[in-house]
Amino acid sequence: MDCLKINSNINLYHIPMTKLKTTTIGVYMHRKLSEDEVSKNALLPYVMKRGCKLCPDSESVAQYLENLYGAHLVAYPLKMGDDNIIYFGGETISDKYSANGEKLVSSMTKLIMSVIFEPAVFKADILEQEKKNAKDRILAEMNDKALYAMQRCGEEMCKGDSFALSILGTAEGIDSIDDKSLEAHYENIITSSVIDIYVCGECDINGVADEIKRFTSSVSFKEASLPQSQMFVKQGDVKNVTDRMEVAQGKLSMGFKTGVKADDSDYPALMVMSSIYGGGAHSKLFNNVREKLSLCYYASSSLVKNKGIMFVNAGIEFDNFKKAHDEIIAQLENIKNGAVSELEFLSSIKSIENDLESYKDNQRMLQIFYLGQRVSGTDYNIDTLKEKISKITIDDVVRVAKKTELDTVYFLAGKEEA
Amino acid sequence: MELKYKKSSITGEEMYYGEHSSGLDVYIIPKKDYSKTYAIFGTKYGSVDSKFVVPGESELTEVPDGIAHYLEHKMFDQPDGSNVFDKFAKYGGNANAFTSFNITAYLFSATENVEENLETLMDYVQSPYFTAESVQKEQGIIGQEIRMYDDNGNWKVFFNFLNCLYKNNPVKKEIAGTVESISHITSEYLYKCYNTFYNLSNMSIVVIGDVDAMKISKVIENGVKKNEPFSEEIKKVYPDEPKAIAKNYSEKSLSVSMPLFMMGFKDVDTGFDGDRLLKKNIEVNILLKMLFGKSSKLYKDLYEKGLINNSFGIEYTMQPYYAYSSIEGESSDPRAVYDAVINEIERVKKEGLSQEDFERIKKVIWGEYIRMQNDVENYAVTFIQYLFMGIDYFNYYDIYNSVTFDDIKKRFEEHFIKERSALSVINPV
Repeated sequence: MDCLKINSNINLYHIPMTKLKTTTIGVYMHRKLSEDEVSKNALLPYVMKRGCKLCPDSESVAQYLENLYGAHLVAYPLKMGDDNIIYFGGETISDKYSANGEKLVSSMTKLIMSVIFEPAVFKADILEQEKKNAKDRILAEMNDKALYAMQRCGEEMCKGDSFALSILGTAEGIDSIDDKSLEAHYENIITSSVIDIYVCGECDINGVADEIKRFTSSVSFKEASLPQSQMFVKQGDVKNVTDRMEVAQGKLSMGFKTGVKADDSDYPALMVMSSIYGGGAHSKLFNNVREKLSLCYYASSSLVKNKGIMFVNAGIEFDNFKKAHDEIIAQLENIKNGAVSELEFLSSIKSIENDLESYKDNQRMLQIFYLGQRVSGTDYNIDTLKEKISKITIDDVVRVAKKTELDTVYFLAGKEEA
Repeated sequence: MELKYKKSSITGEEMYYGEHSSGLDVYIIPKKDYSKTYAIFGTKYGSVDSKFVVPGESELTEVPDGIAHYLEHKMFDQPDGSNVFDKFAKYGGNANAFTSFNITAYLFSATENVEENLETLMDYVQSPYFTAESVQKEQGIIGQEIRMYDDNGNWKVFFNFLNCLYKNNPVKKEIAGTVESISHITSEYLYKCYNTFYNLSNMSIVVIGDVDAMKISKVIENGVKKNEPFSEEIKKVYPDEPKAIAKNYSEKSLSVSMPLFMMGFKDVDTGFDGDRLLKKNIEVNILLKMLFGKSSKLYKDLYEKGLINNSFGIEYTMQPYYAYSSIEGESSDPRAVYDAVINEIERVKKEGLSQEDFERIKKVIWGEYIRMQNDVENYAVTFIQYLFMGIDYFNYYDIYNSVTFDDIKKRFEEHFIKERSALSVINPV
């Protein structure tokens, strides 16, 4: 991967990958996750996508993309630890697959740059439409019950920590935005954010760099730094929270403190630990909570790598709450006590290696992998991380497991019978 | 097994393929420099196939709904009591399976030990082992899978939509069946279905990745356990489906934040597969994008009125014996969206389609085809779906090229008929 410094704030990374038939461009603007900004960051990309100097309205943006053989343009906020990233992504088929020799990558770059650096005026009607959509998205978080349960668990767990903030902002926060405040916010973030641009696939990277410079040379950038994530700190006893909703299946989400962040030398061991615990069909949760006790269709664990948090999620019958909860705890205790079979251990190592190696065939995943290294302040590439994973021992796994502590138990239950 | 070779000069894609004496069709697509290899071993058998006549028998066999999916789950149990996932895990393979309306497929992806993983795939799919106890154990797991879907608004709005379009076609039934229907499943039923639909003459295997076609073909050949192809077709029995829809509206409630809708048109130009089906698919997809895509007048109107948002989507679903177009999303007023779609069709009927829109959207379809070849998983799944519909994926360019503006105009008149449209809505509780 090559890095070209465009200016003090903007870095351009090229990941060559000619075996695929597309080229993707990802622009990531880093902001510190905060209550002040999160709603504006949630709304802004959607307003910006509505029009720019190159394509003044949604219709012309859509037509422009269609002429590039159905190129994709997306814009939305992301959360990586305490980093609130505003993401603009483009994907087009590579130039050589166009019928008439069109310069698709260059055209795609121009559109993304125009959307970011030459937005159309934030008109009142557009702003109102997108504010309504932003608030609908907040309400729609409840639609995916499994995801909703995990979000609620994280929210309860991290009360008082910025990580508790939803990436979609709040209805009150969205309501309070007007054209003036959004414009001011736009001016502020464009000039004062670290902006990482990843281009993955076949392209003339110097041509892309020139294009970016053309759009940014007149902007006066201010000093900017990458937001740093704070480790989650457990306070007090285990919190138990139950919400009730009209649902057919209960959703259990359990939040654990791991005490290990991505920049910790023990993080690769934690990855293996989580894989043994609930990382797929080879894991303890799958084989015990699902296969042995038939309590669920899914039970799995996942890590929030920049916060030192692990979640366990399962969909269960309401009455099986205690059974499932106890078994999930018991399986973690087993790991802490070193009850990990050779097969569970090796399967987990292989599974992580397979996932990492697979990223090499996926432009978007590769971008996210490298972006993740930036955000965490680590400098692994796929091969060095695989190497690290291959050297983990069961003792390492047991050691990190012992740092893990249950913090919050969240249950989305059905409505009580009247 | 003799392998034939094909290469597309336009996309650069190449393929080795052949038919084993057992009747198994083999397709190997080398992808140079790829890290991941994906293999899919599938049978032409899905949730719609609950009534059939086994080759050599004269009587009709009828089995409980949801059995194809149940069988898929139970294939992971092995005669020696071992777990298939453990075998794959040893070789670093990531194994999975799925059941759709028309296909049951077993698959893995791997970045190493491809041949060992492939041997494992071949072996377990040909090693059924069901006991009363193991069948019983799965009731709880699948019961929870069904419950999970019971809370899924998008899933429910979709099935209610199919129940509007279809009076008899079993596509209107849930793939996993119901808690009630699966309670009737026994190991005898599972063996009966297995021995019928998992005969290799009803199956295909597709391998895509940076592989040596000759070695892969050897592994497959050596992995064949039973070389007894049926000499006649499995007779699948489907009820007659009238051209008319069952009903034009469905409304249910679930705990969702705002109403979800799915509307669309029942396609009655059916009963054929192959190139003709692919051409129809391209035509309807172009039309959907011309009429309702992001650059369309209708999309702009609805979006600006706040009647649709970014969840809006359009799709065409094809099978030889049924097909439909669908439009879905979230809306505060689904009825208004439905009316706007119908009015837009009336307007276009009067004013005509735009040739400029057609030329532009046709490029989008080409982009989608090229993009599909990026990801070995999407590629393999699409390939086998096409295969089972008699479509040669490598022939796409010729069919795509043959689609004219006149074809589009004709298809528009045939497909978008108000009387064959329906609207399904899920309201918040």
